[in-house]
Amino acid sequence: MSLFPILGRRAALAGVAGLALASVARAEQTATPRRGGTLRIATLGLDTADPHRHTGSIAVQQAYVEALTSIGPNGTVEPFLAEAFEVSADGRVYSFRLREGVRFHDGSALTSAEVVANLERVKSRIRGGWLATAMRIAEAFEAPDAHTVVIRIREPYAPLLNLLSELWILSPNSPGWDETITHPIGTGPFTFGEWRPKARFTAPAFTGYWQAGRPYLAGLEFDLRDDADHSLALRAGDLHIASIGRDKLASLSRDPAIRIGRQKDTNWFFVSFNNRSPRPPFDDLRLRRAIAYALDKRAFMNFAAGPDGIVTNQMVVPGNAYFDQAMHDADPHARPDLDHARALLREAGVDPAKRRIELVSWQESYAQVVVQMVSRLGFPVNHVALDDLGAQRRLGQYDWDLAVFSSGPRADLFLRYVRLMSDGPNPVLWGGVQDPEYDALVGAAVREPDLKRRAAAYNRAWQRVMDRYYTVVLGHSQNIIAHRAEVRNWDPGFTWSCHWTSGGVAQTWLAPQGSASQG
Amino acid sequence: MSATTMPATGPARRWRLSGLLAGIVVALALLLAVLGPVLVQQDPLAQDLLALNEPPSGAHPLGTDHLGRDVLARLASGARLTLLVGVGGATLAFLLGAGLGLLALALGGAARAAAFAAFDLLRALPGILLAMLLVAALAPGPASIMLALGLSYAPMVAEVARAAHARESASDYVAAARAFGLSRLAVLMRHVLPNLVGALLTLAAIILPRCIVTESVLSFLGLGGTPELPSWGRMIADAGNFAEEAPHAVLAPVLALSLFTLALSVLGERARAAADPLRGGTS
Amino acid sequence: MSRAVVLLAPPLRAAALVAVITLVAFLCIRAVPGDVVDVLAAQGDLTAAQQAELRAEMGLDAPLHAQFGAWLAQAVQGEFGTSLRFGQPVGELFLQALPATLRLGLGGFAIGLGLALALALGALAAPRSPLPALVQAVNIWSIAVPTFCVGIAALLVFSIWLGWLPAVGHYALPSAILGLDIAGQLVKPMYDELREAQAAPHLRTARAKGLHPLRIGLFHLLPSALPVLLALSSVVLAGALGGTLTLEVLFGLPGIGSLALHAIHGRDWPLLQAAVVFLAAAVVLVNGVAELLHRLLDPRPRR
Repeated sequence: MSLFPILGRRAALAGVAGLALASVARAEQTATPRRGGTLRIATLGLDTADPHRHTGSIAVQQAYVEALTSIGPNGTVEPFLAEAFEVSADGRVYSFRLREGVRFHDGSALTSAEVVANLERVKSRIRGGWLATAMRIAEAFEAPDAHTVVIRIREPYAPLLNLLSELWILSPNSPGWDETITHPIGTGPFTFGEWRPKARFTAPAFTGYWQAGRPYLAGLEFDLRDDADHSLALRAGDLHIASIGRDKLASLSRDPAIRIGRQKDTNWFFVSFNNRSPRPPFDDLRLRRAIAYALDKRAFMNFAAGPDGIVTNQMVVPGNAYFDQAMHDADPHARPDLDHARALLREAGVDPAKRRIELVSWQESYAQVVVQMVSRLGFPVNHVALDDLGAQRRLGQYDWDLAVFSSGPRADLFLRYVRLMSDGPNPVLWGGVQDPEYDALVGAAVREPDLKRRAAAYNRAWQRVMDRYYTVVLGHSQNIIAHRAEVRNWDPGFTWSCHWTSGGVAQTWLAPQGSASQG
Repeated sequence: MSATTMPATGPARRWRLSGLLAGIVVALALLLAVLGPVLVQQDPLAQDLLALNEPPSGAHPLGTDHLGRDVLARLASGARLTLLVGVGGATLAFLLGAGLGLLALALGGAARAAAFAAFDLLRALPGILLAMLLVAALAPGPASIMLALGLSYAPMVAEVARAAHARESASDYVAAARAFGLSRLAVLMRHVLPNLVGALLTLAAIILPRCIVTESVLSFLGLGGTPELPSWGRMIADAGNFAEEAPHAVLAPVLALSLFTLALSVLGERARAAADPLRGGTS
Repeated sequence: MSRAVVLLAPPLRAAALVAVITLVAFLCIRAVPGDVVDVLAAQGDLTAAQQAELRAEMGLDAPLHAQFGAWLAQAVQGEFGTSLRFGQPVGELFLQALPATLRLGLGGFAIGLGLALALALGALAAPRSPLPALVQAVNIWSIAVPTFCVGIAALLVFSIWLGWLPAVGHYALPSAILGLDIAGQLVKPMYDELREAQAAPHLRTARAKGLHPLRIGLFHLLPSALPVLLALSSVVLAGALGGTLTLEVLFGLPGIGSLALHAIHGRDWPLLQAAVVFLAAAVVLVNGVAELLHRLLDPRPRR
């Protein structure tokens, strides 16, 4: 049973989370916001008090720090602390006009000097993390006047605006600025309160926030425990907003006090081959094609993500600016074809019964679906299911054949393409691809300032990935973030972020419990 | 008072009954462990992805877990693993504690001081923490858990061995024999060992359940080996997340573990009472 | 002179013990495959070059003896370093986590002690009632039934089925479970000791003289239970530590046990090392104090 009517994927992606939900949402949004209350949220954790040093998904920090840009619900860049920005025709000069009247939590004003200080810090003082890599291409940071910032880069770099959404602007007065910040002073609607790692984080409201009249809430409380079941707490009222596993969806949907929301960007599921040192016969393209023909993507997505899982062969879904409909329609593996697969095996002269496949995955049930599909071809499969760290290490040994994994939302598509580059971060999930031709194609896309041409360039790179069967995309799903009915004016964003220009916790308010509209 | 005589009625009969029940439970567990694969036809690792969290039915007498695996089959498989690791760990504890301990006592002097200093060291680290560290450091699996259990409980055994040795050595009989030139080794063989056996048996009744429980705790915390191996502790941890949807999947291993260790302890208590009528018996 | 040695020797020995434990723990911890950079890399997007940089920055590429030396030098001054994972000083993380563990542990201990005393005294006063059997039962319960099993069953019954208590964050249920466990370990030895003490000749006289049993109990029996209590304290403490660990995990209490577990999973060495030192020192300290008290209170000559 799904809350989404079969509207098609465009609707899902555009942020309209189903007709039923929309009507309820409209009714709940016309009421006047009530001030006060503490919103309790449980989505992801918080790993560091220094926002420039983050190395993973971020959901909490946006409550107290903001950046020049933010990512809107449809994945496009929104002006945030910069109320306008401009890119030169050659793509090498970025100009930002800062908002006026923005103050840090300690009362000091935000000017271009502080922004430049942040850019410098990320470029020269922080090691690791994508911000640092991106900032290496920067040649100069300039502050021609108090409200203008100019970034000059060596060559065009399309992901910059999106990546800047994660370069948060802090006051250089923050304690620990020279080493590791222990108390970040940002511009966000809430302040950095008390942090108990892996337990709790509190963020009291900032009364001097630049969006007048906001936030409505008195404070936020984040539950940082990653091993607790949130659905029980959500139902009991101990949590207001929580990310939910798919297995709890059924019981939560039945609860009239709970609303189900979806993150707008997707998790994508894929089967990768060992590309760093492929073991015969999987260095033979015919074997890879055979495996791909054995995969029933629809059945897999039904199991992994329910009926609103999206089957495609690309890293983006229909409705995304980079999606290529023609490429999607031409997918030879949209439906399984076991006969063709077996024919390929015969042609390659491979007897599956004699070749044991090593398949690595996390300890998730969806991997087992792929195991069963591959077994249908006659291969005995040794399924090695490990935890995060164990999987990382095993994959890095490159002594396996198939890897079944998923990967979550990112601020920019480049951050997905980069994982298959020769020196990309954490490439093991995709078999450690090292293909200079692919690197060149992605490099060309990154340097292309025009969106349409960039999309075409990215897709040429992706076509190469598909032609060589580095990895086979199974489909996409969206993370579920549920909230209680008394939480008003809240809908999950594109990524895990809890706050962005056009939405998030700054606009959220809490109705008295039990006053939720029927429906 | 009434400790030395056992009336045939009343509390004593209840006591004998509980001993009988305990014996049955332990026997059942052993049967399950040894003959499990024969008695239960289902494969404990086979995932039936269309039958997740099913309540008990004809096909699955104890239902299925969150990955569609048959709970009864996993229980049987887990019995085997739990017993193996528990007994192995306890055995190692006894070998290390009594074996090394007695050897050190026989050698005396520096060897003895060093050995018991090492045991003191092991004892000062809280058992569970020591086990966690060891299992994390070595490759996760039954072998490392057994080693961790052995090292954790060896000090306890060594302490009993030392106490027995001290008690015997202090007795007048032995003092006289030593005065006549009896070697330390002979003291060990002829006086300490026979008395030690009794003490060690009663200790086994305590250590074995503890080993089994510790192994379960380690598995529960995610430190006890690979996820496929259906140790009861691991089953409890995995099924705990779905306690609401599938209470049977978590209750089955919880009850199995609790009843089994309870039965072992009751049996141990009975054995101790039988072996040592002066101090044991009913309350 | 000899008295000074007697008084000094235990603390010195204890300190040496803790030092050696630290070294052993250090070696064990370093033997664990993977480090915090691997954990961070598995979570996020770090290139190989960035991982190497991070390792250098954290000092993880120095030789082992240098790392231990540096850590020890700081530790002796009370500086236990910074959590590699969270960037916060380890001492601070500990202080934050301590209240939860103390609340759970002390609460459980208080409940356990009270329950054990009440049960032992009651069984003594009413030998024909089911109370003596209850003593036996509670004792076996604590040896046999693991606390985490009780915890899960209790969660199932009280939080999920009955809905009386929230699933996480409260102390009532875990304290009660821990208390029951501790009571089980204390009650039988106490009961045995009290029974033996009760049979003593001077107490027979006291009863014959008609002294009120409660007065006998309080002023004569209880003090004789004290040495037993002290002797058992280390055992009980060890059990309590193990119990708090699993109960903290089950009930989501942010105590030291949870912290240590996160340190292991996250390969956070400074945190884990500090946890080991803290726990070992606590055990050594309690044992030492118990032994000292035992020597002071027990008038019997030592062999």
